[in-house]
Amino acid sequence: MQNLTPVFALVAREVKRFQKIWLDTVVSPIMSMILFLAVFGVVSGGRDVAGIPYLAFVYMGLLTMTMVNASFSNPAFALVIAKNVGTFMDLQITPVPPWGVGLAYAFAASIRGIITLLIALLATVWFIPISGVANPLLLIVSVVLIGVAFGMLGVIFGMYAKNFEALTFVMTFIIQPMIFLAGTFYSIKQLPGIWPTVSLFNPMHHAVNLVRYSVTGYADSAPMVSLAVMAVFAVAIFIPMQWITTRNLKAS
Amino acid sequence: MDALSVSHVSKTYRQKKKGAVPLQALDDVSLTVKPGEIHGLLGPNGAGKSTLISLIAGIIRADQGKIEVFGVDVEKETEKAKVLEGIVPQEGVYEMAFTVREVLYYFSGMYGVPIAERNPRIDKALEDLALSDKADERARGLSGGMKRRLMIAKALIHKPKLLILDEPTAGVDVALRQKIWELVRRLRDEGTTILFTTHYLEEAEQLCDRITLINHGRIIKEGNLKEIQKEFSKNVISFELFDRNVPHLPNVTPEGSEFHYPMKELEADMQAIASHYNGNLKSVRSEAASLEQIFLTLTKD
Repeated sequence: MQNLTPVFALVAREVKRFQKIWLDTVVSPIMSMILFLAVFGVVSGGRDVAGIPYLAFVYMGLLTMTMVNASFSNPAFALVIAKNVGTFMDLQITPVPPWGVGLAYAFAASIRGIITLLIALLATVWFIPISGVANPLLLIVSVVLIGVAFGMLGVIFGMYAKNFEALTFVMTFIIQPMIFLAGTFYSIKQLPGIWPTVSLFNPMHHAVNLVRYSVTGYADSAPMVSLAVMAVFAVAIFIPMQWITTRNLKAS
Repeated sequence: MDALSVSHVSKTYRQKKKGAVPLQALDDVSLTVKPGEIHGLLGPNGAGKSTLISLIAGIIRADQGKIEVFGVDVEKETEKAKVLEGIVPQEGVYEMAFTVREVLYYFSGMYGVPIAERNPRIDKALEDLALSDKADERARGLSGGMKRRLMIAKALIHKPKLLILDEPTAGVDVALRQKIWELVRRLRDEGTTILFTTHYLEEAEQLCDRITLINHGRIIKEGNLKEIQKEFSKNVISFELFDRNVPHLPNVTPEGSEFHYPMKELEADMQAIASHYNGNLKSVRSEAASLEQIFLTLTKD
């Protein structure tokens, strides 16, 4: 059986790394979320979506967004920094296999995403009209799955990008549109024409849908379909992650 | 079994610029490093040393050829081969925010060292490299020499059988250089095989059991340093003149304050020099060629 110590050590190293810069990695996204909530709290004016107070509805979207951003940016920025300061060589010379490097960064990203989510939750839940969690088990499974999947996406772009400009481009033109067009701030049922159908092809929609359903019991689309889509997304994204990691660790 | 076997390895880098000629970094390179020896890899800048080190470390792929570390194929069993190697790169590579102990703790884990064994090994490595009092300081705050020692500690923490040092003493002061030499000799005596590149030929003369000279991606000489020196020393007579600006014998080459004459037969050649330069001759001797002379002779284009 393969010795997994190198993979676990890399996970631990990455967790330690983001703990060292917790102001950037954990506090900043929570501040953004608090500001979003303040704005939405003021403008929602007591409206609701399908019987759920709008603030509670958007809260689930914001929590998911905060977690996805944290999970994606953790490996993406860590790898670009590693390339720039030279620590990428640590990954190349140590016997951590390419799949192990990719998954270690993705799991560490997932841990950062979950920690960020929990702290954000503790900091803000007191002001949100939510009575409890409708489906705790599904919430746990969903959160882990979403963290790992978007962590792997972060690994892909971190391996691909040579500098921070490239990553900022990806965040602005890929991740942010995915978040804003996912039903984070609205129900996709409110969208006109084919757009509700188009949204179903956005994995971010299924991430938000799963978290929202797990907590409030409300879903824009079938939650089990969302779970299946996230699972397929995670498995499918492993393949390009493995390819690009292998290519980066050992150049031809 | 050889500690390192490089067999007919070639490597060409494709150039990104359209129409640019591909750069052949290594051309049919073969060399062996015996277990327990200190082997120097010498060559001018751009000779192919770093490419060869990267291939041995499994960082890049060879176009052709085979590399084995203690019989393990670097291409086919990369992870297994990496466990046998410890690499000290030219530049300091460590997590900036980590303490010295943390750098070594996670790095040793990435080599598969179990958690329970890590701290005792770290303590030993820090003691060996006189870094014990810096264990809990941030790595980025260390002086240049300490950073170099940390890099060596990183390479040794998993007890590799083959230690590869890429210019380990470049830019370090004389005292630290001596300490690194001492450490390298001690590691060799304890059974570690060492391959290192250096620009300091004096260092190679002091440390190496065998050397490989590389230039333009090709091995131009490999062997026991003393034998190579013997081979070349047969062919050189060195002399000094009171007046340097005189007509010289054919094939005389100046080097510093001296001149070198390629020797065929000691007595006849000495006589030829004495009669040609006559009273202008300040000193004359036949001596073992220095590695520098051999290096310059072999790398002369």
